[in-house]
Amino acid sequence: MTQQHEKLSAFMDGELDDNGFVDSIKNDSESLAKWRSYHVIRSGLRKEASVMPEFDITAQVAAALEQEPTVLAPKSKWKSLPVVNKVVPFLRQSGQLAVAASVAAAVILGVQQVNQQPAAEEPFTTFQTPVIPGMPQAGMAPVSLEQSNILPNNRAGDSDALLQKRRQINALLADHEQQLKLKQAEEQSQQAAESEPNQP
Amino acid sequence: MQAFFDVKQRTARAVRLLFLTSLISAAPAVIHAQQDSQSEPEQITEPNLALAEVPRQNLSGLEWLERLAQINRTSNFEVSFVLTRAGEEMTPYLWRHAVLEDGLEAEQLNLQNGPGQEMIRLGNVVSVFEPDVQPYSIYASAISGPLPSDLLYNPTALTDAYQFITIGRTRVSGRAAQQLRIVSRDNKRYNYQVWLDEETGMLLKLDMVDLQGSLLEQIQVTAVNVSEQPSPYFSRINPQALPGAVAMTPKPRQHQWEVKFLPVGMEEIKRETRRLAMTGQVVEYKLFSDGMVDVSVYVQPAQDSLDSDVVLRHSTSTFLSLTNGQVQITIIGKVPPQTAYEIAHSIGAAGE
Repeated sequence: MTQQHEKLSAFMDGELDDNGFVDSIKNDSESLAKWRSYHVIRSGLRKEASVMPEFDITAQVAAALEQEPTVLAPKSKWKSLPVVNKVVPFLRQSGQLAVAASVAAAVILGVQQVNQQPAAEEPFTTFQTPVIPGMPQAGMAPVSLEQSNILPNNRAGDSDALLQKRRQINALLADHEQQLKLKQAEEQSQQAAESEPNQP
Repeated sequence: MQAFFDVKQRTARAVRLLFLTSLISAAPAVIHAQQDSQSEPEQITEPNLALAEVPRQNLSGLEWLERLAQINRTSNFEVSFVLTRAGEEMTPYLWRHAVLEDGLEAEQLNLQNGPGQEMIRLGNVVSVFEPDVQPYSIYASAISGPLPSDLLYNPTALTDAYQFITIGRTRVSGRAAQQLRIVSRDNKRYNYQVWLDEETGMLLKLDMVDLQGSLLEQIQVTAVNVSEQPSPYFSRINPQALPGAVAMTPKPRQHQWEVKFLPVGMEEIKRETRRLAMTGQVVEYKLFSDGMVDVSVYVQPAQDSLDSDVVLRHSTSTFLSLTNGQVQITIIGKVPPQTAYEIAHSIGAAGE
């Protein structure tokens, strides 16, 4: 077991070159826990972790969602209307809101990386100077490493990771828009339910 | 259904609006005012009677906004305005409000360009008609459009977060106007300038400016029509044809984290745990509001997160995402990036 832990430690430092090792720790819950705590320790040493180590929401969230029934429920008011009841099953009704949200258009105007490392593979050349807005292009300007810092927004060779990232950003933005639209709906629903008996 | 899509009339209106807006951008305001009075006979004959008595010079900022709230709740009007955001095209809207015979409030907001979007409010039910989406209705006491509803209807709710400063008289949309500034109490949010019609109290212009004073978003009213009778548009609405309102039952959730820094006057109005519609990712979510702006806070496990930190501006909203230990924290809202950063960094485990 100790040997396993040593290997784990070496693997984390990138000193172990054994492809089978990943599978072996994936199937071993003890090793997995160790793997996780090593990372927490490392983050702590590097002063990256300002969040408590037990602050792991994955398990709780998954459990919470298991118990979660569908959030939208039909009002007794419109359900009791004979026409609506026949035409629209309430499950479809809740689906509509989800669709409404996903359609909310989200366009990203510009992506600028905060922690982007300078691309290491960029060779140091004195020809093919990249075009920098606002910089005179007469003659050959010296290349500096900072020039690779800005992430081009719409280049043909977008990597999968970048597309994936855009998708996630769009998902969050669309969700935010939807939340604003539905902001009032919840409290008003409660009030409506309370005043229901008085209505004709 | 036919009641909502009186295409002919709408086209005519869109053409007129286009004409007006082009005049505004091209010609001096004087010409516009003349045009306005020719094409639309002055109907603001009798302003709200009770309000007409008040000596307007001495009104405070809050009293001006209360006048605005009163006219928005009690009168019949039709307002055309354009929304402009830095680097985007202008978006024209038509906004109507009426108090119907049985005392029911009716309101309509129509996006005039492209396939459009129509929102109709009858009492506390808002129905939304959008392209490619089945119409739906929700319970809400105001339409959620480009104008913050608390500014239109409930200015006292803003006093915790903002102060109102009267600037003086000026002229907007061809009418005598009173200019106000709405300034956040802690300088952590964008500020606003508002111009209100002196005679009626109606909103004429609203600017959102950043902390350096440059313009981020502008709403400019191009035509106001306050009338005795409700617009005939509302008599064509058949309430039976509107989709039934869907009730949203809040499911408050306990989260293991909390936000320890918030701008003055900003409060939590919602918290939940759910999946994002587009990617299916599970997020813990809190929504904060100060009445003028809303800020969303997302916390999700870091393993399916963006692998680096991101700050960007989407329209006028700030998007900021940080990976902090094992969680990814995302802040979205119309606040300056510094404020979003402060909020993100104040998040910690609950109960500390």
